[in-house]
Amino acid sequence: MKTQSAINTYVKEIGGWAASQLEACTRCGLCADACHFYQATGNPEYTPVWKTEPLRRAYEQRFTIAGRLKLAVGLDKPVTDEDLKHWSTIVYEACTLCNKCAMVCPMGIQLGPLIHDVRSGMAAAGVVPGDLVAATMKQKDVGSPLGVTDKTWAERMEWIGDEWEVKIPMDVQSADTLVVFTSIELMKFPDNIAAIAKIMDKAGEKWTTSSKGREVVNFGYFEADEELTKLFLSRVFDAAKELGVKRIMISECGHAYDAFRWTAANIMDMPKNVAITHIAQVMHDFWKAGRIRLKKGAYDDGTVTFHDSCKIQRRGGIIKEPREILKWLAPSSFKEMTPNKEQALCCGGGGGVISIQEADPLRFAVFGMKVDQMKEIGAKSVCMVCSNCRLQFTEGVAHFGSDVKVRGLSEMVSQALE
Amino acid sequence: MASFTLTPVDKGILRCRHTGPFTPEDVQSLAGFMRDYSGKLLIDLTGADAEECSRHIRQFRPMMPVAAIFGALLDPAILIIDKSYYANEVRLFPTEEEALAWLRNQ
Repeated sequence: MKTQSAINTYVKEIGGWAASQLEACTRCGLCADACHFYQATGNPEYTPVWKTEPLRRAYEQRFTIAGRLKLAVGLDKPVTDEDLKHWSTIVYEACTLCNKCAMVCPMGIQLGPLIHDVRSGMAAAGVVPGDLVAATMKQKDVGSPLGVTDKTWAERMEWIGDEWEVKIPMDVQSADTLVVFTSIELMKFPDNIAAIAKIMDKAGEKWTTSSKGREVVNFGYFEADEELTKLFLSRVFDAAKELGVKRIMISECGHAYDAFRWTAANIMDMPKNVAITHIAQVMHDFWKAGRIRLKKGAYDDGTVTFHDSCKIQRRGGIIKEPREILKWLAPSSFKEMTPNKEQALCCGGGGGVISIQEADPLRFAVFGMKVDQMKEIGAKSVCMVCSNCRLQFTEGVAHFGSDVKVRGLSEMVSQALE
Repeated sequence: MASFTLTPVDKGILRCRHTGPFTPEDVQSLAGFMRDYSGKLLIDLTGADAEECSRHIRQFRPMMPVAAIFGALLDPAILIIDKSYYANEVRLFPTEEEALAWLRNQ
């Protein structure tokens, strides 16, 4: 029964695009060496091509003569309920959908989106890890995967405004920019919210938050449940329409940027004339336009490095902007980790992995490689533009006993404002 | 004078002693400390105004590392937050000895 739900979803997902991707694979195995989970563990089941196996089987056994023959004579196996459970742990706990595998594939196969399709079958079959389901249900029921209610959100925003002495506008009609934060920032990194408020204010931006569209994270997207993905996106889009804003600015969150910037346009109607942007881009634009001034060398006191977030840098291409800012703030102390930019190593916490307790050993095994990268350049601090990465780094450096300071770029920029 | 002091208690455990009303600067620096600190925290509220503490402890709760609180009569409800992957265990104890004993076992 579970299997049939998954197969139905896979069959629905397999259009010309997915078929061409699956047919193009030559099983060369190059994607394996790009996968941080495979690199960290050596487990062959974590190779990206193996993660797409349920989708491949569904495609071949349903749509190709060779696949049907192989199945008929017992050369290939049908997907079973047990297989689904097994692959569920692989695609949810050992994959962050970072899509680095696609960067090395000589055939240009987009493995990340294919693995997302595999997840969608798991979601339809109800074989998603319990922790991820619990967070998704909280987002559905109370509006936040961390269980932040409307009341808690309003109280906490008020507390941040009072204690960090910043203005956090709420539900301002006809503001230019709707800023949507993550629950992680709200609960764990409130200084990031204060920092962004300070930057927006200094730039003279007419901005607002929304009490209705208050959560930018999308656990429906992590699960790969399209209906829930749309529901969570629509809460923010509806708020943007109601407030009449010109753009939605995603705060420090990678998957949210992906969901709003690209996924939404492929699965639903988006509000017309509302741009989607990310805080890293906006800060850079403000700085280049002279709307904010930053103290040169404000962080030139120990090696600072930058962690590229998969969805913002590799996918989103916002690569030079944070670097230009960092080279201004730390002209002699900024150093790159290797590899970096499009080829950077994922932190290991994305794609919902950080929310699944059973995946902790795996995500820390992966993070060990980031620790090595930071050690190689003698990093004293590391900064990033994704709060999910930041939480993974915060927990990761603690896990490994590293004393590298973990920072959000907005926080650094706000402290360097002149 | 800051409204809190930090002193080592044991390997991996710091005592955070509340010594007076919080200013915004104190709140910001305590938030910064909690963001960077990866050890355990013994929160000593001896002599503190429980009402004044409550509001801030409630707001600091999601950011806290593993922590044991003692020294003031607080409503345990202020420590309740939704169980989630980002949150650490924080408990209230009647005495320092009990708080420290629990903390050492975490």
